Amino acid sequence: MSRVRSVTGWFFAPVALARVAVFRLIAYLFIPIDVFVTTRWVAAHAGVPTEYYQPLLIGEWLRLPTPSTAVVDVVKWLLIGSALLAATGRAPRIWGTTTFLLYFEWMVIAMSYGKVDHDRYAFLVALAVLPTVGIAQWRDQRRSQAAGFAVAVIFLAIMLTYFLAAWAKIRFGGWDWVNGSTLTRAVLRRGTDLSMWTLDVPGLLHVSQYLMIGFELLSPLMLLARRDRARIALVIFLLGFHLMVFAGVRIIFLPHVVAILFLLPWERLRRVRPGPAGRLDAGGDVIPRTDDRAGAVS
Amino acid sequence: MGPVSDRDTIDQAPTDEVVELPAKARLIRLVIGAAILALTLSGTVFGDDYAFPFGPPRMYATRADPDTPVSSTRVVALTDAGEEVPLSGGEVGLRRAEFEGQVPRLVDNPELLGLLAENYLINHPESVPLVAVAIIVRRLELRDGQPTGAYDDDVLVTYPLAAGSEDGA
Repeated sequence: MSRVRSVTGWFFAPVALARVAVFRLIAYLFIPIDVFVTTRWVAAHAGVPTEYYQPLLIGEWLRLPTPSTAVVDVVKWLLIGSALLAATGRAPRIWGTTTFLLYFEWMVIAMSYGKVDHDRYAFLVALAVLPTVGIAQWRDQRRSQAAGFAVAVIFLAIMLTYFLAAWAKIRFGGWDWVNGSTLTRAVLRRGTDLSMWTLDVPGLLHVSQYLMIGFELLSPLMLLARRDRARIALVIFLLGFHLMVFAGVRIIFLPHVVAILFLLPWERLRRVRPGPAGRLDAGGDVIPRTDDRAGAVS
Repeated sequence: MGPVSDRDTIDQAPTDEVVELPAKARLIRLVIGAAILALTLSGTVFGDDYAFPFGPPRMYATRADPDTPVSSTRVVALTDAGEEVPLSGGEVGLRRAEFEGQVPRLVDNPELLGLLAENYLINHPESVPLVAVAIIVRRLELRDGQPTGAYDDDVLVTYPLAAGSEDGA
Protein backbone atom coordinates (compact mmCIF):
# COMPACT_ATOMS: atom_id res chain seq x y z
CA MET A 1 0.00 0.00 0.00
CA SER A 2 2.71 2.44 0.92
CA ARG A 3 4.60 1.40 -2.19
CA VAL A 4 1.60 2.23 -4.34
CA ARG A 5 1.43 5.55 -2.57
CA SER A 6 5.07 6.29 -3.23
CA VAL A 7 4.67 5.49 -6.94
CA THR A 8 1.67 7.77 -7.29
CA GLY A 9 3.55 10.24 -5.12
CA TRP A 10 6.36 10.25 -7.67
CA PHE A 11 3.99 10.77 -10.56
CA PHE A 12 2.07 13.57 -8.88
CA ALA A 13 4.82 15.32 -6.93
CA PRO A 14 3.62 18.89 -7.39
CA VAL A 15 5.57 21.23 -9.65
CA ALA A 16 5.17 24.99 -9.98
CA LEU A 17 2.80 26.03 -12.76
CA ALA A 18 5.34 28.69 -13.74
CA ARG A 19 7.63 25.93 -14.98
CA VAL A 20 4.93 24.65 -17.32
CA ALA A 21 4.36 28.19 -18.59
CA VAL A 22 8.05 28.60 -19.44
CA PHE A 23 8.53 25.14 -20.90
CA ARG A 24 5.35 25.36 -22.93
CA LEU A 25 6.64 28.50 -24.61
CA ILE A 26 9.96 26.76 -25.41
CA ALA A 27 8.29 23.61 -26.72
CA TYR A 28 5.71 25.33 -28.92
CA LEU A 29 8.12 27.91 -30.29
CA PHE A 30 10.51 25.09 -31.09
CA ILE A 31 7.99 23.70 -33.58
CA PRO A 32 8.47 26.45 -36.21
CA ILE A 33 12.23 26.10 -35.72
CA ASP A 34 11.89 22.34 -36.22
CA VAL A 35 9.76 22.74 -39.34
CA PHE A 36 11.68 25.56 -41.03
CA VAL A 37 15.24 25.16 -39.80
CA THR A 38 16.37 21.98 -38.12
CA THR A 39 14.16 19.30 -39.70
CA ARG A 40 13.47 20.90 -43.05
CA TRP A 41 13.55 17.59 -44.87
CA VAL A 42 10.01 16.80 -43.67
CA ALA A 43 8.54 19.68 -45.66
CA ALA A 44 10.63 18.52 -48.63
CA HIS A 45 8.45 15.41 -48.77
CA ALA A 46 5.83 17.66 -50.38
CA GLY A 47 7.81 17.38 -53.61
CA VAL A 48 8.43 13.64 -53.49
CA PRO A 49 6.43 11.41 -55.86
CA THR A 50 3.70 9.75 -53.80
CA GLU A 51 4.90 6.38 -55.12
CA TYR A 52 7.70 6.72 -52.56
CA TYR A 53 5.24 6.91 -49.65
CA GLN A 54 5.52 3.79 -47.48
CA PRO A 55 2.72 4.05 -44.92
CA LEU A 56 3.37 3.18 -41.29
CA LEU A 57 1.03 0.98 -39.26
CA ILE A 58 -0.58 4.04 -37.72
CA GLY A 59 -1.07 5.62 -41.15
CA GLU A 60 -2.83 2.53 -42.45
CA TRP A 61 -4.84 2.00 -39.31
CA LEU A 62 -6.12 5.57 -39.14
CA ARG A 63 -6.32 5.79 -42.94
CA LEU A 64 -4.25 8.94 -42.92
CA PRO A 65 -4.10 10.66 -46.30
CA THR A 66 -1.26 9.99 -48.71
CA PRO A 67 1.05 13.00 -48.35
CA SER A 68 0.52 14.76 -51.65
CA THR A 69 2.00 18.23 -52.04
CA ALA A 70 -1.25 19.80 -50.89
CA VAL A 71 -1.58 17.57 -47.81
CA VAL A 72 1.98 18.32 -46.68
CA ASP A 73 1.59 22.06 -47.17
CA VAL A 74 -1.78 22.25 -45.44
CA VAL A 75 -0.58 20.23 -42.44
CA LYS A 76 2.53 22.40 -42.24
CA TRP A 77 0.71 25.71 -42.06
CA LEU A 78 -2.02 24.43 -39.74
CA LEU A 79 0.71 23.11 -37.46
CA ILE A 80 2.59 26.41 -37.44
CA GLY A 81 -0.59 28.36 -36.71
CA SER A 82 -1.65 25.98 -33.98
CA ALA A 83 1.81 25.99 -32.35
CA LEU A 84 1.94 29.78 -32.27
CA LEU A 85 -1.53 29.92 -30.71
CA ALA A 86 -0.50 27.30 -28.16
CA ALA A 87 2.64 29.31 -27.36
CA THR A 88 0.47 32.20 -26.20
CA GLY A 89 -0.72 30.03 -23.32
CA ARG A 90 -4.37 30.84 -24.00
CA ALA A 91 -6.86 27.98 -24.24
CA PRO A 92 -3.97 25.56 -23.60
CA ARG A 93 -6.09 22.44 -23.72
CA ILE A 94 -7.54 23.22 -27.15
CA TRP A 95 -4.44 24.57 -28.90
CA GLY A 96 -2.20 22.12 -27.10
CA THR A 97 -4.28 19.20 -28.34
CA THR A 98 -4.51 20.41 -31.93
CA THR A 99 -0.78 21.07 -31.91
CA PHE A 100 -0.08 17.57 -30.67
CA LEU A 101 -2.33 15.98 -33.30
CA LEU A 102 -0.92 18.06 -36.14
CA TYR A 103 2.66 17.46 -35.03
CA PHE A 104 1.92 13.76 -34.84
CA GLU A 105 0.62 13.83 -38.42
CA TRP A 106 3.72 15.84 -39.37
CA MET A 107 5.83 13.04 -37.94
CA VAL A 108 3.85 10.45 -39.91
CA ILE A 109 4.68 12.45 -43.04
CA ALA A 110 8.28 12.54 -41.90
CA MET A 111 8.76 8.85 -41.16
CA SER A 112 6.82 7.22 -44.00
CA TYR A 113 9.54 7.27 -46.68
CA GLY A 114 11.82 4.41 -45.71
CA LYS A 115 13.53 5.85 -42.64
CA VAL A 116 12.20 6.27 -39.12
CA ASP A 117 14.08 8.57 -36.77
CA HIS A 118 14.13 8.04 -33.02
CA ASP A 119 14.97 11.50 -31.82
CA ARG A 120 11.60 12.76 -30.62
CA TYR A 121 9.69 10.21 -28.57
CA ALA A 122 10.03 12.36 -25.45
CA PHE A 123 9.04 15.49 -27.38
CA LEU A 124 5.88 13.78 -28.64
CA VAL A 125 5.09 12.71 -25.09
CA ALA A 126 5.64 16.30 -23.97
CA LEU A 127 3.23 17.64 -26.60
CA ALA A 128 0.69 14.99 -25.59
CA VAL A 129 0.85 15.74 -21.89
CA LEU A 130 1.20 19.55 -21.87
CA PRO A 131 -2.50 20.20 -22.62
CA THR A 132 -3.48 18.17 -19.56
CA VAL A 133 -1.96 20.78 -17.25
CA GLY A 134 -4.42 23.45 -18.30
CA ILE A 135 -3.93 27.13 -17.52
CA ALA A 136 -0.44 27.95 -16.29
CA GLN A 137 0.69 31.52 -15.79
CA TRP A 138 4.29 32.71 -15.84
CA ARG A 139 4.00 34.14 -12.36
CA ASP A 140 1.98 31.35 -10.86
CA GLN A 141 4.25 29.88 -8.21
CA ARG A 142 1.55 27.55 -6.96
CA ARG A 143 2.57 23.96 -7.36
CA SER A 144 0.24 21.64 -9.19
CA GLN A 145 -0.15 17.88 -9.29
CA ALA A 146 -1.15 18.07 -12.96
CA ALA A 147 2.11 19.88 -13.72
CA GLY A 148 3.97 17.31 -11.65
CA PHE A 149 2.45 14.51 -13.70
CA ALA A 150 3.57 16.20 -16.91
CA VAL A 151 7.14 16.46 -15.60
CA ALA A 152 7.08 12.85 -14.43
CA VAL A 153 5.94 11.31 -17.71
CA ILE A 154 8.31 13.43 -19.78
CA PHE A 155 11.13 12.39 -17.44
CA LEU A 156 10.11 8.77 -17.93
CA ALA A 157 10.01 9.20 -21.71
CA ILE A 158 13.49 10.76 -21.70
CA MET A 159 14.84 7.86 -19.65
CA LEU A 160 13.14 5.26 -21.84
CA THR A 161 14.72 6.75 -24.97
CA TYR A 162 18.11 5.75 -23.55
CA PHE A 163 17.15 2.53 -21.83
CA LEU A 164 15.19 1.13 -24.76
CA ALA A 165 18.04 2.11 -27.08
CA ALA A 166 20.22 -0.30 -25.09
CA TRP A 167 17.50 -2.92 -25.34
CA ALA A 168 17.35 -2.44 -29.11
CA LYS A 169 21.12 -2.78 -29.39
CA ILE A 170 20.99 -6.11 -27.58
CA ARG A 171 17.93 -7.22 -29.53
CA PHE A 172 19.24 -6.30 -33.00
CA GLY A 173 22.98 -6.21 -32.53
CA GLY A 174 23.25 -9.03 -30.01
CA TRP A 175 25.29 -9.08 -26.82
CA ASP A 176 28.35 -8.72 -29.00
CA TRP A 177 27.21 -5.30 -30.21
CA VAL A 178 29.87 -3.70 -28.03
CA ASN A 179 32.59 -5.53 -29.93
CA GLY A 180 31.34 -4.49 -33.35
CA SER A 181 32.41 -1.44 -35.27
CA THR A 182 29.15 0.49 -35.19
CA LEU A 183 30.76 3.74 -34.08
CA THR A 184 33.57 3.40 -36.62
CA ARG A 185 30.94 2.99 -39.27
CA ALA A 186 29.08 6.05 -37.97
CA VAL A 187 32.21 8.20 -38.00
CA LEU A 188 33.18 6.96 -41.45
CA ARG A 189 29.77 7.84 -42.82
CA ARG A 190 29.08 11.05 -40.93
CA GLY A 191 32.35 12.05 -39.29
CA THR A 192 33.41 15.68 -38.81
CA ASP A 193 36.78 17.38 -38.41
CA LEU A 194 36.21 17.00 -34.68
CA SER A 195 35.80 13.23 -34.83
CA MET A 196 37.82 11.79 -37.69
CA TRP A 197 40.87 11.54 -35.42
CA THR A 198 39.04 8.96 -33.30
CA LEU A 199 39.44 6.50 -36.19
CA ASP A 200 43.21 6.61 -35.70
CA VAL A 201 43.19 5.83 -31.97
CA PRO A 202 43.01 2.06 -31.67
CA GLY A 203 40.38 0.93 -29.19
CA LEU A 204 38.88 4.34 -28.48
CA LEU A 205 35.60 3.86 -30.32
CA HIS A 206 35.49 0.28 -29.06
CA VAL A 207 35.65 1.43 -25.43
CA SER A 208 33.14 4.18 -26.22
CA GLN A 209 30.65 1.50 -27.20
CA TYR A 210 30.97 -0.10 -23.76
CA LEU A 211 30.51 3.28 -22.07
CA MET A 212 27.51 4.08 -24.22
CA ILE A 213 25.56 0.90 -23.60
CA GLY A 214 26.58 1.00 -19.94
CA PHE A 215 25.11 4.46 -19.55
CA GLU A 216 21.98 3.46 -21.41
CA LEU A 217 21.41 0.35 -19.30
CA LEU A 218 21.89 2.36 -16.11
CA SER A 219 19.67 5.22 -17.27
CA PRO A 220 16.69 4.22 -15.06
CA LEU A 221 18.81 5.41 -12.14
CA MET A 222 18.38 8.95 -13.40
CA LEU A 223 14.82 8.84 -12.08
CA LEU A 224 16.33 8.95 -8.59
CA ALA A 225 17.34 12.56 -9.22
CA ARG A 226 14.60 14.40 -7.38
CA ARG A 227 16.19 17.50 -5.95
CA ASP A 228 16.44 20.49 -8.23
CA ARG A 229 20.22 20.55 -8.01
CA ALA A 230 20.51 16.87 -8.96
CA ARG A 231 18.23 17.41 -11.94
CA ILE A 232 20.20 20.44 -13.11
CA ALA A 233 23.35 18.31 -12.97
CA LEU A 234 21.57 15.57 -14.90
CA VAL A 235 20.43 18.01 -17.60
CA ILE A 236 23.98 19.36 -17.97
CA PHE A 237 25.31 15.81 -18.29
CA LEU A 238 22.73 14.82 -20.90
CA LEU A 239 23.14 18.01 -22.92
CA GLY A 240 26.91 17.49 -22.81
CA PHE A 241 26.46 13.97 -24.19
CA HIS A 242 24.27 15.16 -27.03
CA LEU A 243 26.62 18.04 -27.88
CA MET A 244 29.52 15.61 -28.02
CA VAL A 245 27.62 13.29 -30.34
CA PHE A 246 26.69 16.27 -32.47
CA ALA A 247 30.31 17.36 -32.72
CA GLY A 248 31.25 13.84 -33.75
CA VAL A 249 28.59 12.73 -36.21
CA ARG A 250 26.26 15.75 -36.64
CA ILE A 251 23.31 14.07 -34.93
CA ILE A 252 21.79 16.21 -32.19
CA PHE A 253 18.43 14.66 -31.23
CA LEU A 254 17.18 18.23 -30.92
CA PRO A 255 13.50 17.55 -30.08
CA HIS A 256 14.66 15.14 -27.38
CA VAL A 257 17.02 17.83 -26.07
CA VAL A 258 14.11 20.29 -25.91
CA ALA A 259 12.12 17.77 -23.86
CA ILE A 260 15.07 17.44 -21.45
CA LEU A 261 14.72 21.15 -20.67
CA PHE A 262 11.46 20.40 -18.84
CA LEU A 263 13.52 18.87 -16.03
CA LEU A 264 14.99 22.28 -15.19
CA PRO A 265 13.32 24.25 -12.37
CA TRP A 266 12.43 27.23 -14.54
CA GLU A 267 10.17 28.56 -11.81
CA ARG A 268 13.24 29.49 -9.80
CA LEU A 269 14.16 32.16 -12.32
CA ARG A 270 11.67 34.31 -10.44
CA ARG A 271 14.05 34.48 -7.53
CA VAL A 272 16.65 36.40 -9.42
CA ARG A 273 14.30 38.29 -11.70
CA PRO A 274 11.46 40.11 -10.04
CA GLY A 275 8.24 40.58 -11.94
CA PRO A 276 7.85 43.17 -14.68
CA ALA A 277 6.05 45.43 -12.27
CA GLY A 278 9.36 45.91 -10.51
CA ARG A 279 7.85 44.53 -7.36
CA LEU A 280 10.52 42.58 -5.61
CA ASP A 281 9.33 39.35 -4.24
CA ALA A 282 10.43 40.24 -0.78
CA GLY A 283 10.15 36.66 0.24
CA GLY A 284 11.77 35.38 -2.93
CA ASP A 285 13.76 32.84 -1.05
CA VAL A 286 10.72 31.24 0.38
CA ILE A 287 9.34 30.30 -3.01
CA PRO A 288 8.85 26.64 -2.40
CA ARG A 289 11.25 24.46 -4.28
CA THR A 290 9.97 21.51 -6.18
CA ASP A 291 11.94 19.23 -4.00
CA ASP A 292 10.56 20.49 -0.73
CA ARG A 293 7.91 18.08 0.36
CA ALA A 294 8.32 16.36 -2.98
CA GLY A 295 6.53 13.33 -1.73
CA ALA A 296 3.77 15.24 -0.04
CA VAL A 297 0.63 14.02 -1.69
CA SER A 298 -2.61 13.91 0.08
CA MET B 1 1.28 47.39 -15.42
CA GLY B 2 -2.41 47.66 -16.16
CA PRO B 3 -5.25 47.05 -13.81
CA VAL B 4 -4.81 44.04 -11.62
CA SER B 5 -7.15 41.28 -12.61
CA ASP B 6 -8.05 38.25 -10.58
CA ARG B 7 -5.50 36.27 -12.49
CA ASP B 8 -2.72 38.69 -11.66
CA THR B 9 -3.24 38.41 -7.97
CA ILE B 10 -1.73 34.97 -8.00
CA ASP B 11 1.75 36.43 -8.12
CA GLN B 12 1.29 38.68 -5.17
CA ALA B 13 3.10 36.39 -2.85
CA PRO B 14 5.07 33.20 -3.11
CA THR B 15 2.81 30.46 -2.10
CA ASP B 16 3.00 27.04 -0.66
CA GLU B 17 -0.36 26.23 -2.12
CA VAL B 18 -0.69 22.96 -4.01
CA VAL B 19 -3.28 22.64 -6.74
CA GLU B 20 -4.42 19.07 -6.32
CA LEU B 21 -5.99 16.77 -8.85
CA PRO B 22 -9.16 14.90 -7.94
CA ALA B 23 -8.59 11.19 -7.38
CA LYS B 24 -10.47 10.37 -10.57
CA ALA B 25 -8.29 12.66 -12.68
CA ARG B 26 -5.19 11.04 -11.20
CA LEU B 27 -6.52 7.58 -11.96
CA ILE B 28 -7.33 8.46 -15.60
CA ARG B 29 -3.82 9.84 -16.06
CA LEU B 30 -2.22 6.76 -14.55
CA VAL B 31 -4.29 4.36 -16.66
CA ILE B 32 -3.56 6.19 -19.95
CA GLY B 33 0.07 6.55 -18.96
CA ALA B 34 0.32 2.83 -18.20
CA ALA B 35 -1.23 1.98 -21.58
CA ILE B 36 1.27 4.20 -23.43
CA LEU B 37 4.09 2.69 -21.39
CA ALA B 38 2.92 -0.83 -22.24
CA LEU B 39 2.78 0.04 -25.96
CA THR B 40 6.23 1.58 -25.75
CA LEU B 41 7.79 -1.40 -24.01
CA SER B 42 6.14 -4.00 -26.24
CA GLY B 43 7.07 -1.94 -29.29
CA THR B 44 10.72 -2.18 -28.36
CA VAL B 45 10.54 -5.86 -27.43
CA PHE B 46 8.44 -7.11 -30.37
CA GLY B 47 7.90 -4.28 -32.84
CA ASP B 48 9.86 -2.56 -35.55
CA ASP B 49 10.01 0.86 -37.20
CA TYR B 50 6.63 0.18 -38.82
CA ALA B 51 5.08 0.60 -35.35
CA PHE B 52 6.12 4.28 -35.06
CA PRO B 53 5.95 5.98 -32.58
CA PHE B 54 6.22 2.82 -30.50
CA GLY B 55 8.95 1.06 -32.44
CA PRO B 56 12.31 0.24 -30.88
CA PRO B 57 14.74 3.19 -30.73
CA ARG B 58 17.21 1.27 -32.84
CA MET B 59 19.59 4.04 -33.79
CA TYR B 60 22.97 2.43 -34.28
CA ALA B 61 21.65 -0.80 -32.78
CA THR B 62 22.89 -2.99 -35.61
CA ARG B 63 26.25 -4.55 -34.92
CA ALA B 64 28.74 -3.64 -37.58
CA ASP B 65 31.32 -6.36 -38.10
CA PRO B 66 34.89 -5.06 -37.75
CA ASP B 67 35.96 -6.76 -40.98
CA THR B 68 32.89 -6.09 -43.11
CA PRO B 69 33.09 -3.05 -45.38
CA VAL B 70 31.11 0.06 -44.48
CA SER B 71 28.47 0.74 -47.14
CA SER B 72 27.38 4.16 -48.21
CA THR B 73 24.60 4.38 -50.79
CA ARG B 74 24.03 7.18 -53.26
CA VAL B 75 21.45 7.69 -55.95
CA VAL B 76 22.68 9.63 -58.95
CA ALA B 77 21.49 10.69 -62.34
CA LEU B 78 23.99 10.21 -65.15
CA THR B 79 24.63 12.68 -67.91
CA ASP B 80 25.58 11.83 -71.45
CA ALA B 81 29.21 12.47 -70.52
CA GLY B 82 28.95 9.93 -67.71
CA GLU B 83 29.01 12.55 -64.98
CA GLU B 84 27.06 11.96 -61.78
CA VAL B 85 24.33 14.35 -60.67
CA PRO B 86 23.57 13.59 -56.99
CA LEU B 87 19.92 12.89 -56.16
CA SER B 88 20.24 11.43 -52.65
CA GLY B 89 21.47 14.55 -50.88
CA GLY B 90 18.01 16.11 -50.65
CA GLU B 91 17.83 17.22 -54.30
CA VAL B 92 14.52 15.41 -54.84
CA GLY B 93 13.18 15.68 -51.29
CA LEU B 94 14.47 12.38 -49.97
CA ARG B 95 17.42 11.78 -47.65
CA ARG B 96 20.14 9.23 -48.15
CA ALA B 97 18.81 7.11 -45.30
CA GLU B 98 15.36 7.10 -46.89
CA PHE B 99 16.82 5.82 -50.13
CA GLU B 100 18.71 3.18 -48.19
CA GLY B 101 15.48 2.07 -46.56
CA GLN B 102 13.85 1.67 -49.97
CA VAL B 103 16.77 0.12 -51.87
CA PRO B 104 15.26 -3.39 -52.13
CA ARG B 105 12.01 -1.93 -53.45
CA LEU B 106 13.84 0.32 -55.93
CA VAL B 107 15.93 -2.57 -57.23
CA ASP B 108 12.71 -4.50 -57.86
CA ASN B 109 10.90 -1.51 -59.36
CA PRO B 110 13.58 0.59 -61.06
CA GLU B 111 10.94 2.60 -62.91
CA LEU B 112 10.49 4.46 -59.60
CA LEU B 113 13.93 5.92 -60.25
CA GLY B 114 12.58 7.49 -63.43
CA LEU B 115 10.16 9.58 -61.35
CA LEU B 116 13.12 11.09 -59.54
CA ALA B 117 14.72 12.27 -62.75
CA GLU B 118 11.46 13.90 -63.85
CA ASN B 119 11.20 15.54 -60.46
CA TYR B 120 14.78 16.75 -60.62
CA LEU B 121 14.36 18.25 -64.07
CA ILE B 122 11.22 20.10 -62.99
CA ASN B 123 13.12 21.67 -60.09
CA HIS B 124 16.34 22.19 -62.04
CA PRO B 125 15.26 23.23 -65.53
CA GLU B 126 18.80 24.44 -66.24
CA SER B 127 20.15 20.91 -65.85
CA VAL B 128 22.03 19.20 -68.63
CA PRO B 129 20.11 16.27 -70.19
CA LEU B 130 20.06 13.11 -68.09
CA VAL B 131 20.34 9.67 -69.61
CA ALA B 132 19.96 7.31 -66.63
CA VAL B 133 19.48 7.04 -62.89
CA ALA B 134 21.60 4.65 -60.85
CA ILE B 135 21.93 3.42 -57.29
CA ILE B 136 25.57 3.05 -56.34
CA VAL B 137 26.88 1.53 -53.14
CA ARG B 138 30.37 2.47 -52.06
CA ARG B 139 31.98 -0.14 -49.84
CA LEU B 140 34.81 1.16 -47.69
CA GLU B 141 37.11 -1.63 -46.59
CA LEU B 142 37.65 -2.21 -42.87
CA ARG B 143 40.28 -4.30 -41.15
CA ASP B 144 39.90 -4.86 -37.41
CA GLY B 145 37.49 -1.96 -37.34
CA GLN B 146 40.00 0.41 -38.94
CA PRO B 147 39.41 1.82 -42.41
CA THR B 148 42.15 0.85 -44.85
CA GLY B 149 41.31 3.65 -47.28
CA ALA B 150 40.36 1.23 -50.07
CA TYR B 151 36.85 1.19 -51.50
CA ASP B 152 34.71 -0.31 -54.25
CA ASP B 153 31.77 1.25 -56.04
CA ASP B 154 29.02 -1.22 -56.85
CA VAL B 155 26.20 -0.19 -59.18
CA LEU B 156 23.08 -1.93 -57.83
CA VAL B 157 20.72 -0.89 -60.57
CA THR B 158 20.68 1.47 -63.54
CA TYR B 159 17.47 2.75 -65.05
CA PRO B 160 17.81 4.25 -68.53
CA LEU B 161 15.67 7.31 -69.10
CA ALA B 162 13.44 7.65 -72.14
CA ALA B 163 14.29 10.47 -74.52
CA GLY B 164 11.40 12.48 -73.10
CA SER B 165 13.25 12.95 -69.83
CA GLU B 166 16.09 14.57 -71.66
CA ASP B 167 14.20 17.80 -71.85
CA GLY B 168 13.45 17.15 -75.52
CA ALA B 169 17.00 18.05 -76.46
